[in-house]
Amino acid sequence: MIKKLFISLLVVLLLGGLTTGCAMQDQPEGWSGGVVVNGTLFLGSMDGKLVAIDVSSHNRLRPDVTLETSKPSGGFLGGCASGSTAVAVYGTPAVSEDLVYVGGYNGKIYALSSSSGALRWVYPREGNLDPIVGGPVVASGKVYFGCSDGKVYALDAETGDKEWEEFETGDKIWSTPAIDGDTLYIGSFDNKLYALDAITGKEKWEKPYETQGAIACTPLVYNNTVYFGSFDRYFYAVDATGGSLRWRSEVEAGSWFWAKPVVYNNTIYAGNLDGKVYVLNAKTGLEKVDPIDFESPISSSPVLVGSLVIVTSEEGKVYTLDTSNNQKNELKNLGAKTSAPLFVSEGVVYVHTQEPDTLYALNVETGVTLWSLLLSSK
Amino acid sequence: MGIGEIWNLIAVQPMTNVLIVLSDYLFNNFGLAIIALTIVVNVAMYPLTMKQVRATKAMQAIQPKLAELKKKYGKDKERMGREQMKLYKESGMSPAGCVVPMLVQMPIWIALFYSIRGLLPLAPEGLLKLSQLLYSWDVVYSMVPLGEGFLWLNLAVPDSILVLPILVGGTMWVQQKMTMTPTADPKQQAQSRMMLWLMPLLFAFITLQFPSGLALFWVTSSVIRIAIQYFVTGWGGLISTAAKKQVTRDRRYKERIAQVEEAPSDDVEVTKEEEGLDYGKPGDKRQDRGGGYPTRSRATKPQPRRGRGHRPKRR
Repeated sequence: MIKKLFISLLVVLLLGGLTTGCAMQDQPEGWSGGVVVNGTLFLGSMDGKLVAIDVSSHNRLRPDVTLETSKPSGGFLGGCASGSTAVAVYGTPAVSEDLVYVGGYNGKIYALSSSSGALRWVYPREGNLDPIVGGPVVASGKVYFGCSDGKVYALDAETGDKEWEEFETGDKIWSTPAIDGDTLYIGSFDNKLYALDAITGKEKWEKPYETQGAIACTPLVYNNTVYFGSFDRYFYAVDATGGSLRWRSEVEAGSWFWAKPVVYNNTIYAGNLDGKVYVLNAKTGLEKVDPIDFESPISSSPVLVGSLVIVTSEEGKVYTLDTSNNQKNELKNLGAKTSAPLFVSEGVVYVHTQEPDTLYALNVETGVTLWSLLLSSK
Repeated sequence: MGIGEIWNLIAVQPMTNVLIVLSDYLFNNFGLAIIALTIVVNVAMYPLTMKQVRATKAMQAIQPKLAELKKKYGKDKERMGREQMKLYKESGMSPAGCVVPMLVQMPIWIALFYSIRGLLPLAPEGLLKLSQLLYSWDVVYSMVPLGEGFLWLNLAVPDSILVLPILVGGTMWVQQKMTMTPTADPKQQAQSRMMLWLMPLLFAFITLQFPSGLALFWVTSSVIRIAIQYFVTGWGGLISTAAKKQVTRDRRYKERIAQVEEAPSDDVEVTKEEEGLDYGKPGDKRQDRGGGYPTRSRATKPQPRRGRGHRPKRR
């Protein structure tokens, strides 16, 4: 009797585990940032669509464009991770001339017409790369992006043809490249920051700068210095030309630096997953004030509006941080999980929350929600 | 603090961090860390596992007596329960003896399962969650995210060449077979046979869906269990040569009985003992266990056989 009971219990647990286990397995859902160009806001929704919004009327310009559905991958039956067929978008879309570029977690880069949403090209044309988590950047007629296969790709922005043979790092790349002049800076999970010639794809530094932890943070280039944080809990400033260390933050943060930092008036504001923003002197790396606590991990990249740094914590609280006195002020509590980078246009701050998948437009001074739009039912 | 946070704090978080440190010591290899921690946890739980194995063995030993009781008092459930408890008491065992150690071990296994799964995040969401589970040890922060390669496997995704699902199913089948309780009851036999195949197939199927790191943990656990079981009970039900021989002997014996019954009395020489046996009338229901599986195989420790249904020695 006991044995029977136990076996029945085990079977129920296993079957339950199979279903809920898959459900509880972290599905790639995406947290796309957005970009506003010529009055149109582009961003990816959590159901794998490119949404185009007219910022003046707050309405969709056209029906959302579905990025192709991903095929199950990894495993005999696809595995848990591929339960959803919607393409997750993590990076911010890039816009150049009449094309919008979007990187998908299904390992494809899409170029779509910004006016009609029609697909112009997709890379690779057949098959898929490994997941693309960082966003693409466009410069000098080329699209650059890093991939989970550890490679940096450069494509012709018009045609999607490969511009140079991909540059290979030692591990996954989840960060978005930063372009400054003809140099591309990108971090990898192999703990290194690379500087590549954007035209040839060759390494510019004698050797990449190595930290003690993975780099998922998108670098910031300012005054010929590359600023970035690492999973080793330190923040770094590296000479953009030679790749030598300018400084490493003295204080060790409580967790990883994930979000891209912002700089204002020679001061770096770097959010950390320990829920704090570190305020560092851009020249020396010394802390200007004690870390400012926002009580919840900061995975969204902050933005600068005038002299205010806008910070969002993972639990959905939006703050302003006054750079004159480094005082924080709660602007709005959206009460929704937020990991997507913030973005700003004409003094309006846009916050893309994940639960629910909604875009909020906030007035920076009053915190009033100017408008909001449900992007998908997720 | 919610129950999930308490669970993470006391169970998942320590295991997660230990796994990361082990990976650092074991050549930055997460696969080796999984195997090592599974072994360590098994060693730590060895007394409990032994208790459970012994209790299972004791339960097997009293199966014939239980079958007899069922035959005798099967219809009177109250009496049956009383007699059963009496038998347990006489045998010095508790029916909960098999289950309690297992229940105690279960949270530890579940925590290990969750830790391995958490350390193999496929999506960025998983990596963000993992960041909240890390201790502020330098080694932990510099190790994560862990390398996913081990032998031919990517530990974060299911094994596409099906080796691990077969290993998971195979080792689980062996383990089940070793612990299978022989029974004369055809219903229970069918049930045991079903479970012998159902569980391994179910786990093999689950392995097709889950990251290989978890499958590696299951295979390692099964192999350790098989080793422990072997040292306590031998191969148990796995090598059933003794059982087969017994069945063959039974069949020959039945043939001989039939021969005696059919042939004229002077054609067949019948020994006194055989003559003295009461086989009942032809077509009657047998009173013995009907040539069912023996209560124990040769691999287990032999004990003097007793009981009414036992075949007397030939002279």
